[in-house]
Amino acid sequence: MADGESKWEPLIVAFLCKWCASAGADLAGVSRLEYPPNITSITVPCSGRVDPQLILLAFVNGADGVLIGGCHTPADCHYVAGNFKALKRFALIRKMLKQYGINPERVRLEWISATEAQKFVEVARDFTEKIRKLGPLRRREK
Amino acid sequence: MNEKKIKIAIIPAASCGGCDVSLANLNEKLLELTNFVDIVFWPTVADFKIEDLENLESIDIALFIGSIRLKEHEEKLKLAREKAKILVAYGACACFGGIFSLGNLFDPEELLEHVYLSNELITTDNTEKEIPGQKYEINGLDLSITPLTDHARPLNDFARVDIYAPGCPPREIVLDMLIKVISDYIQTRQIPEIPLVLAKDTPLCNSCPRIKPEKISIDRFRRIGREPIQQDLCFLAQGVICLGPITRDGCGLPCIKANMPCRGCFGPTSDVIDPGGKFASAFAPLFKLDQEKTLSDEELIKIVEEIDDPIGYAYRFTLGISLLKRIMREIKEGRTE
Repeated sequence: MADGESKWEPLIVAFLCKWCASAGADLAGVSRLEYPPNITSITVPCSGRVDPQLILLAFVNGADGVLIGGCHTPADCHYVAGNFKALKRFALIRKMLKQYGINPERVRLEWISATEAQKFVEVARDFTEKIRKLGPLRRREK
Repeated sequence: MNEKKIKIAIIPAASCGGCDVSLANLNEKLLELTNFVDIVFWPTVADFKIEDLENLESIDIALFIGSIRLKEHEEKLKLAREKAKILVAYGACACFGGIFSLGNLFDPEELLEHVYLSNELITTDNTEKEIPGQKYEINGLDLSITPLTDHARPLNDFARVDIYAPGCPPREIVLDMLIKVISDYIQTRQIPEIPLVLAKDTPLCNSCPRIKPEKISIDRFRRIGREPIQQDLCFLAQGVICLGPITRDGCGLPCIKANMPCRGCFGPTSDVIDPGGKFASAFAPLFKLDQEKTLSDEELIKIVEEIDDPIGYAYRFTLGISLLKRIMREIKEGRTE
């Protein structure tokens, strides 16, 4: 491997909902649970706020993976049904990315409640490793 | 040649010819126009060579038709920008990349192979397996055809555009506005300070006369031509993909009136960052809206995934200005990790 290759670290943008996933990430922090520093989290009011344009913008600005964290379906959403909107948009944008030749596994949606610090940490670790294996964002990967 | 007349050049690049036809379709208006306009370059209708354009000192208005797909188009555009006081992107391809930019889904090599070498197209008769873009010499003369560029791109990737005349092809309404702009220019010789778009900046839905239900919940995705479509009800409410919510108004709704959904040839409104992303944002949540709480996540996702070719619908004319294109360009041009 060339030197440049080994220095590469995945960059993951996480859009976390204020009420569940972001609170879960906060709990992971105060509980002193360790997770990879590759995740840059952005707190949004609701996972239903994550317009697919934001996912594409994250990729344009250098992200190798995008994580969306919301409240569990069917009943946890603070705004009643924002998480369903996120789910359906996520399905469609993944399909578009795949059609364009971008691996849809680079976008991940997880339901993480405010108490699930452990789950957030596991998702963060697992997703970082997956993206590390995929390598920097490129078109036409397997 | 009358000195007071202004000079207009009509320059085609990657285009189907439909835009030229839409200009010819002006009929008598074209004759009126020639009273104060000289058409100095229009290779589609008369024998002009690129030298004819090069030899002119300057032109007033260049109507550039089509997207940039060949190296040659890039050079033509450069020439047009140098010579013209006002550069008009005429038609969806010049404005947003148009239909040609759907070719960006594939690499240029794949496109050439499919068209010139594969047996899938019945019109392909290429026994010598020649591909354009290769070096080609006869008796020491270089007859190579100009190579394909990586992407089909809109004009504003390369040059400042003064006026955008969208549409596939631009409708009479747009042409009337364009003629107004041209006659304003003849009187004042003013070049627009900020780019003009000859369409409204409100979504098409604003002027669509179809009934729009308060709440739209669709049970599945429907395709035009496969099943009957109601004449008076919103297309989205019937599960048909319609780009009305993200597309500029101002076309006069010819498709909607013919019971066809909007395909987005007028391009996105100015608040849209990425047409396909915005469309996914608007359309996906409508699926089974009233059964969200009873269906499982997998069932909901399955219905959305039934849409085949989402890019072909959502970016029909606009893949050339999409964020997807920018992602790829930045990777190719060596984004620092």
